[in-house]
Amino acid sequence: MIALAVVAIIAALEAVRVVAERNTMRKLPYLNVVSFAITGSLMLLLPHPLTILACAAYFVGSTLESNAIASTWSGGIRKHE
Amino acid sequence: MLEFYVMLAEGLRVLIAAGVCWLNFVTIDVFFGLPKEGGVSGATAIAQEVEKGGGALHGGYMLGNIVSSPDASAGTLLASCAVYAAGIPGGLVMALLVYIGNRICYDPGYAGTTGCITATFIVYAFTQIGFLATDFIAGMVIAILTIQGLSHVHASRLLATLWRWRSA
Repeated sequence: MIALAVVAIIAALEAVRVVAERNTMRKLPYLNVVSFAITGSLMLLLPHPLTILACAAYFVGSTLESNAIASTWSGGIRKHE
Repeated sequence: MLEFYVMLAEGLRVLIAAGVCWLNFVTIDVFFGLPKEGGVSGATAIAQEVEKGGGALHGGYMLGNIVSSPDASAGTLLASCAVYAAGIPGGLVMALLVYIGNRICYDPGYAGTTGCITATFIVYAFTQIGFLATDFIAGMVIAILTIQGLSHVHASRLLATLWRWRSA
């Protein structure tokens, strides 16, 4: 019970920090904590072996999105001249 | 009154689990050289922004790399989740999924997979002495909060110091 409360409070707190932070690149580490918290709450709310797949899919997907946002924001793929 | 002590005990277990998770992922990430350089251009860009804000560049690289690919911290969280649902076999399946996730994110390293395997056995060992796997799920979220979510300036300086020891 406390575990779920801790995870939910951290998710809400960091969601506020994502909105409050002005710099796009510095938003991403806060967003990363939100992803961790949501992955944890998924498993705490749905304790079932198949949730392992859901957790991995959600976490890898959100990481790939952050990766894509950061790489695009920093100039994207350098095209050959 | 008994309920209060049960909650106090759970809170203490979560804090101890947070410390164990923190040591596990920071040791593995620093050992695999995540603070050395940005793995993708996005990680490098995050490191440069953290440095502009007053942080340390090498600590920023590690923050950027944690954002850009599932590293040992993600491995620890996912291993705790998997051990909670399916024990050691679940943790090993999760290590395979983390390995695939690393490749999807253009990460050539093994920090995530290694972290997932070590965390599987650590979490299982702690469940044998009275801890719950849920303590480690909450503990890992607290551990990542201290690195990514409180102060990028202080976290990056701490990680840069650890990296100096590692590369000395």
